[in-house]
Amino acid sequence: MASSQTQIKKDDKAAAASKAEAQAPEQKPAALEEDDEFEDFPVDDWEQEDTEAASGGAAQHLWEESWDDDDTSDDFSAQLKEELKKVDAAKKR
Amino acid sequence: MEFTTPFFREFAESYSERSGPRLAKTLRPDVSTEKLRKICKSHNAHDIKSSLKRGLQLNAALADGLDQQEVQGWVDVYVAYWNGAKAILAARESSGDDGQSSELVWTKVYAAWTELVNVLIRGYQNCGFEAWTLPCLYVVCKHLRVFASNADDERNNNTSIDDSAAATFQDDFDPETNKRQKLEDCARVLSRVFMLCQSDRAPLEESRKWGIYYIANLLLKTYFKLNSASLSKNILNSLRAGGRDMPSFKAFPRSQQVTFKYHQGVLAFLEENYVDAETYLTEAWNDCYKNSVRNKELILTYLIPCRLVTNHTLPTEKLLAQYPRLQKLFLPLCRCIKRGELHKFDLALQEGEDEFVKRRIYLTLERGRDIALRNLLRKVFIARGFEEAKDGEKPVRRSRVPVAEFAAAISLGSQERIDNDEVECLLANMIYKNHMKGYISRQHGIVVLSKSGAFPGTGV
Repeated sequence: MASSQTQIKKDDKAAAASKAEAQAPEQKPAALEEDDEFEDFPVDDWEQEDTEAASGGAAQHLWEESWDDDDTSDDFSAQLKEELKKVDAAKKR
Repeated sequence: MEFTTPFFREFAESYSERSGPRLAKTLRPDVSTEKLRKICKSHNAHDIKSSLKRGLQLNAALADGLDQQEVQGWVDVYVAYWNGAKAILAARESSGDDGQSSELVWTKVYAAWTELVNVLIRGYQNCGFEAWTLPCLYVVCKHLRVFASNADDERNNNTSIDDSAAATFQDDFDPETNKRQKLEDCARVLSRVFMLCQSDRAPLEESRKWGIYYIANLLLKTYFKLNSASLSKNILNSLRAGGRDMPSFKAFPRSQQVTFKYHQGVLAFLEENYVDAETYLTEAWNDCYKNSVRNKELILTYLIPCRLVTNHTLPTEKLLAQYPRLQKLFLPLCRCIKRGELHKFDLALQEGEDEFVKRRIYLTLERGRDIALRNLLRKVFIARGFEEAKDGEKPVRRSRVPVAEFAAAISLGSQERIDNDEVECLLANMIYKNHMKGYISRQHGIVVLSKSGAFPGTGV
């Protein structure tokens, strides 16, 4: 009995919390949604040379081409090497 | 422009030039308040119709090809515009006072402006308005959406208390729908305009079909705001069905093409059809106007998660650096994926959860964890180096990797001790998903990796 009561209380609390949550963010997203919309372009049409693809430079390096680390100096890589050494050493023993 | 001699001349000249954009300017509601006041005051409700008729008829000779029926149609259009202008002026003046007026002024604007759209539709249906005047329809429809949103916002700010009370007592009452009443109505009006364009049977060069993508884009934006993917799909289907009798897509202005491709791409993305999504979004990106930074940012918001799933690629840091918002959104995740830091990946995903969920990219990004794991395993493979080289032969990577090494790496990456069974399970999954090629030899506690392309698509 006691446990079911606390259960109910908990539910109440949860419901209250979710209600508060539901109401609080209402204001904010409205404003955010607004500028989430695809904007009107300042011009109706444009030449090929004014497209993103033709504007060059940026077009070349959009996506990473290699998975090899450029910075092997990061902590994680170093740690990983240490760990692997330990495993290797344990095996040899 | 107030309805005096210069206006009638402007109308006649636009007409004789057959210049839609020029004519459309006479129907713009986004003019200065002073100008609006002049428009409203130039006439009163009694004489507006007759003086418009007189003015347009006098100049009909100048506007060659303008017949009686058309004159009558345009008189009705400008009367409706004049009514709209009065409502807008009233709305602007009332919001100038204290912001909180008791009347719903934007609701009135919306009603007046809807009437203008209806009158225009009738103009095309009954009064012989030609397709070159379509920009008039664009201007009017574009602002209908703005006014619908204004009206909804205004109503929600005024009566929000009543609304939420109703919501708690009725289960089947969806406060969200009620909140978007006018926008939903706007969607219905716009879809009638869409039909008006689509159903035109005139020869292509003078067909209203040229208006179809402009209106489709307005509709898509509206449906997106209403969160209705299914209605958006209807538009796409309807366009596909009419495809044969349509002008070629490439013949439409780039602004319309790119806007359409963006929405088409996001829709495919939401359906988890990532291959199509990538195609559409890439097309939108390539053709996008180079100076429209915000739109490029929006395209990338979906293209980046998309490519993570389709071909497991990450954006370069250089690309992200050009878009601070995207950098904040994606860079932490991308770094963790690249390094194989599983635990930090989880944290970064959690950190950005609200933003990711809001943009509906969370579930897609979550799949990046597989790529992070793949990269971690790949690092183990690389770290093991090469077999002792035989003379004159290309060095071969050591392809037999102890499960214990993978286990150590995974434990480090996820910052918790993972036992070997679970590790084998993760490895089996990687093999199944073709992120890694090889097999597990349980007997020997090793993984035998493929000598040619152990990690497909990564160069090793």
